[in-house]
Amino acid sequence: MTDTELRQAAGAASATDPDGSGPAGRPGGPGAGRRRFGADTTKGTVAKIVLLGLVDALAVYVLMMLFLSESWGALAVSSAVVLVINWIYLRKGGLPAKYLAPGVLFLLVFQVFVVLFSGYIAFTNYGDGHNSTKDDAIAAIQLTAQKRVPDSPAYKAAVLAKDNSFYLLFTDPQGKVSIGTTQAPLEEVSGAGKDSTGKANAVDGYRTLTFQEIVANQQSILAITVPVSADPADGTLRTADGSNAYQFKPALTYDAAADTFTDTDTGVLYRDNGKGAFAADNGETLTTGWKIEVGMDNFVRAFTDPSLRGPLLGVILWTFTFAIASVALTFAMGLFLAITFNREDLRGKKVYRILMILPYAFPAFLSGLVWSGILNPQFGWLNQTLLGGATIGWLTDPLLAKISVLVVNLWLGFPYMFLVCTGALQSLPTELDEAARMDGAGPWRVFRSIKLPLLLVSIAPLLISSFAFNFNNFNVIFMLTGGGPRFADTDRDIGATDILITLVYKVAFGQGTGRDYGLASALAIIIFIIVATVSAISFKQTKALEDVNS
Amino acid sequence: MKVQNTLTTGTSRRVFTAGAISVVAALALSACGGAAATAPATATATATAKPDLKSAGASTITMWVDAERSPALKDITAKFQADTGIEVKLVVKDFAAVRDDFITQVPTGKGPDLIVGPHDWVGKFVQNGVIAPVELGDKKSGFQDSAVKAMTFNGSVYGVPYAIENIALLRNTDLVPAAAKTFDEVITNGKKAVADGKAQFPFLVGMDPKQGDPYHLYPLQASMGSQVFGLAADGGYDPKQLLIGDAAGVEFAKKLAAWGDAGEKIINSNITGDIAKEKFLAGESPYFLTGPWNVPDVQKKGIKFAVDALPAAGDKPAQPFIGVNGFFISAKSANALATNEFVTNYLTSEDAQDSMYKAGGRPPALKASFEKAASDPIVAAFGKIGATGVPMPAIPEMSAVWADWGATELALIKGQGDPAADWAKMAASIKAKIAG
Amino acid sequence: MNGSAASTVSTAAPAGAGDTTTGSTTDVEQLKALQRRRPFGVWFRDKGWRHLVGIAVTIFAIFPLLYVLSAAFNSTGTLVGSNALFSRIDFGNFSELFNNPARPYARWFVNTMVVGVVTSAATVFLGAMAAYAFSRMRFKGRRIGLLSLLLLQMFPQLLAVVAIFLLLSGISEVIPALGLGSQLGLIMVYLGGALGVNTYLMYGFFNTVPQSLDEAAKIDGASHSQIFFGIIMRLVTPILAVVGLLSFIGISGEFVIASVVLTDPDSQTLAVGLYSFVAQQRSENWGVFAAGAVLAAVPVMALFLFLQRYIVSGLTQGSVKG
Repeated sequence: MTDTELRQAAGAASATDPDGSGPAGRPGGPGAGRRRFGADTTKGTVAKIVLLGLVDALAVYVLMMLFLSESWGALAVSSAVVLVINWIYLRKGGLPAKYLAPGVLFLLVFQVFVVLFSGYIAFTNYGDGHNSTKDDAIAAIQLTAQKRVPDSPAYKAAVLAKDNSFYLLFTDPQGKVSIGTTQAPLEEVSGAGKDSTGKANAVDGYRTLTFQEIVANQQSILAITVPVSADPADGTLRTADGSNAYQFKPALTYDAAADTFTDTDTGVLYRDNGKGAFAADNGETLTTGWKIEVGMDNFVRAFTDPSLRGPLLGVILWTFTFAIASVALTFAMGLFLAITFNREDLRGKKVYRILMILPYAFPAFLSGLVWSGILNPQFGWLNQTLLGGATIGWLTDPLLAKISVLVVNLWLGFPYMFLVCTGALQSLPTELDEAARMDGAGPWRVFRSIKLPLLLVSIAPLLISSFAFNFNNFNVIFMLTGGGPRFADTDRDIGATDILITLVYKVAFGQGTGRDYGLASALAIIIFIIVATVSAISFKQTKALEDVNS
Repeated sequence: MKVQNTLTTGTSRRVFTAGAISVVAALALSACGGAAATAPATATATATAKPDLKSAGASTITMWVDAERSPALKDITAKFQADTGIEVKLVVKDFAAVRDDFITQVPTGKGPDLIVGPHDWVGKFVQNGVIAPVELGDKKSGFQDSAVKAMTFNGSVYGVPYAIENIALLRNTDLVPAAAKTFDEVITNGKKAVADGKAQFPFLVGMDPKQGDPYHLYPLQASMGSQVFGLAADGGYDPKQLLIGDAAGVEFAKKLAAWGDAGEKIINSNITGDIAKEKFLAGESPYFLTGPWNVPDVQKKGIKFAVDALPAAGDKPAQPFIGVNGFFISAKSANALATNEFVTNYLTSEDAQDSMYKAGGRPPALKASFEKAASDPIVAAFGKIGATGVPMPAIPEMSAVWADWGATELALIKGQGDPAADWAKMAASIKAKIAG
Repeated sequence: MNGSAASTVSTAAPAGAGDTTTGSTTDVEQLKALQRRRPFGVWFRDKGWRHLVGIAVTIFAIFPLLYVLSAAFNSTGTLVGSNALFSRIDFGNFSELFNNPARPYARWFVNTMVVGVVTSAATVFLGAMAAYAFSRMRFKGRRIGLLSLLLLQMFPQLLAVVAIFLLLSGISEVIPALGLGSQLGLIMVYLGGALGVNTYLMYGFFNTVPQSLDEAAKIDGASHSQIFFGIIMRLVTPILAVVGLLSFIGISGEFVIASVVLTDPDSQTLAVGLYSFVAQQRSENWGVFAAGAVLAAVPVMALFLFLQRYIVSGLTQGSVKG
């Protein structure tokens, strides 16, 4: 009997199954159209009404809130979404959409958004030093440029109000009391009321604010800058907490019309350098910059970065090896174990099963630490106890480190595959066995010719998805080896177990003055194009598998 | 049959549509009512308006804190609330991600008003424009100089310090009764203890198997005259003066190789922080280079130990890096005034600093609190060593240093490569990264 | 294989498949009788080796976790500082877990259960609906849809946290109940992943259910929802249980997004809370973390025990109920 015949026989056996297993109590006979579904029951219709009603009620509420908050863009998008949802569920046809819509909605909002956001960031210089808008950056520079005038006294302060404007009342260390506000320079007052500490807190004609009132009006009060004298070089008095005031002078002044900062000591002019920072003529930039769009710059950098060029080929090869080997090993082990314990009458199988999924139930980074301890060359259990005091560099020898990473990833991943394969084996129609056996096939033959192909139908898509996961499996690499041991022939910190994603991390986050999200996104997109192409090609191959049973 | 089917479908669809519409209408109406009722009245605050903290968005201060510190702040926040009516919400955050979260969240206006963290975050915070300077005024003199210095960046003070942290040399007094001055003496004493069969390891310091540990080794490096960055005119670190590759640094690199696996085996690349701690707790080594965080377990285990000054390997003082923990105010706090009041007038108080000390056990930054805490000889000893230390560089350029520095030191300890060549290569690589 | 297959069929015994089953039931009885008398060699070839494999793999799986267990029961120890496991046993770490009002461990536990159960149930439901559509219906854009689902998972999520924070802070402006700080918001974020790997997994399994079943039901006049809920869902119960379990495990261990979304200690999940014990560099409290992780694995094991009957005998039950 050939494999094909075997499969046909099995197919025939499973085809007998549907008889009698249809939904109970449905009226209806052989007259119904072969490709048409029956009508909904009343119960189903009511359920649908209530669900869609709830969704729409929520939608109306959201739209109203959007309207009130005047977010027109979001309002337009949300209205469109609501209309589409209603159209999908109220119209007659379009069954696939009815099943797909809820999941796709969440997918679009939370996952596609992330991808689009990353895509956008790839064209900006977002990262440390370029964190927000230009306005924020200017405000931050102005804030940090306020330096206390050296050796100036510390004043006690109170906040007073008159005619809807605020005044600050200062008491200097000698007990001299003066009042002022932004437009009214400091002027001395006499006869002010004082509290027990000698701090002036009341002046006739003014009302003294309580702390609560100060807090409630803090934006106006924090904005008060009282000129100390007619000479701007003396600086201004301001308070940060409503009870103390100090004399500040800006180290840099901003000229809004010219869009420049000037150093008040040296007179150096800082201009917008077009790269998201204020820079002097000698190239020195002010510490805080802002986010700008930089076009293809990040991609150009990604392709020209010297740290990527040398070891890149090796890293790509290892990334593929790592991802493919991880999938193959975990799947092989998971499947083998699933078959081994797929026996009704095996004593203790429940215990085995539960112990085997445990590695999956513990935080991976905790296990990673334990593994790196076990693999320690001198003190690790593996060398010290099992190998009797050997000093094998499990994580420091380039080849062994690769093997160790794979073994640990196998440990982390096999429970997943074991569970999935157990479920898969159980879902196979059991008549397959019967039919095949009646035709005289042995268990191995049955497995290889019938079960495995059917299993692959169900699991092949998952294997591709698992490949994708391992391709970007940052954690296991970073936890165990950090990408090391380092290559000797590069001066960057790239090593034998680095995969593309850890390389991205090191290049974009470990250099210069911090994280460069723009470059990281550009690199991520490039990696994505590589892995997506590979996956799309393998995906095509699954079409053949998928059609086995339909 | 077919006709019947279509009929039922038709009917049910009409019923469905009608039903759906009515349900929507009903629910939407109720939602309308709810929304109208709860819509906040927008009050414009004027000078004469009654204080309405809620409407001004100022009734709370949000503070990101680590789980250890959070209980210690309960009393002072309760006092602040009693005095001012403003609640300080303590949000316990995952500290591995908190710095980056703060940087991303502050610009959106959704970030916290206040964050607790170590001083070496300051550079990155200022670079990203997310924290505001704090003027301590007269209170500045109440703090230890090194703490204020660490919080100073580009000439401004950015945080209120509460604790100082640095490493020291723990010595098992049963194994070595007298303190050593130089690292050579430490090595001699350690080797003697091993030779006498009293110990297994002459000296312990934890190494990260991937990154080494430049932080713990820095006092040795500093004692040989090697620094990472030179100082600018205002006393802060100057990123343009990368000194790590100088001749003193190369000398230190040679020493490292000599102490390492291929040499005297004083510093063992296979000993992680965990292993070092276990071995010291087991009494297997007379020396353990570590910080105050491991002291409680050493005490619990009943090991008799002393806190020794850091031994010098060269002729310069063995300065440790000091880490100063403090409170930082968000540059975009919606409640900046109250936050400033809380930070400068409440968190600087002796009570607050005392209770932070009780929770964390790190020497307080406030002198008055430190003096009280120094009745504990261990705190006093750590504090004394800290006074000789230098702040860990907080400039953003420091992030380009760690990876190369650690990996190179680790390789030298393992006996790989040539000290002079590798150290120079490391310095060149760091320089290239800083230049971008 | 022989015994297990036969006995499942015999318990299932749907009316229509009577002939073949009656025969095999007798076979099984005979076989069982035979088994009782067979020599060791035969037993070993049939079952004994399975125990050997079981023991070997269990050791491989469990050994590293013994370090975690040992650290959990030792309040002064380290995680992997010593190979002398269980040299000291006390409950200091556990009592610290439950006696710290700033870290309401019991509360976190409940939160994790709520978020985990709701999310995994919804994930199974949404994923199964999508998988049904992809597997049973032929529509324009189906292959592209499947491919895009796959590709989406491959995108390196370096910026996910930043993007999700921005998104949720936008949502908070409009509906605070679904935004930052709300568990509902977190569940929604997790559901964004409902159509990922899980749909793929279920899609594969739906493909193994013969189309002829649907056809027959359609002939009986069943509506699409009846076929979906009444037939397909029951036939693939094992994989639904597997997906539910997997997503529960995934969610109960997730902390990167959870720590950004949930800021109030009372609403946090176990993972977020636990990580706070080890987040301080150099003063990580591994003992307490290990104790918390051990306890956190208990519900996962309980869930697995509960779901095991669905996972390993799903088909049988499905047919009987159907």
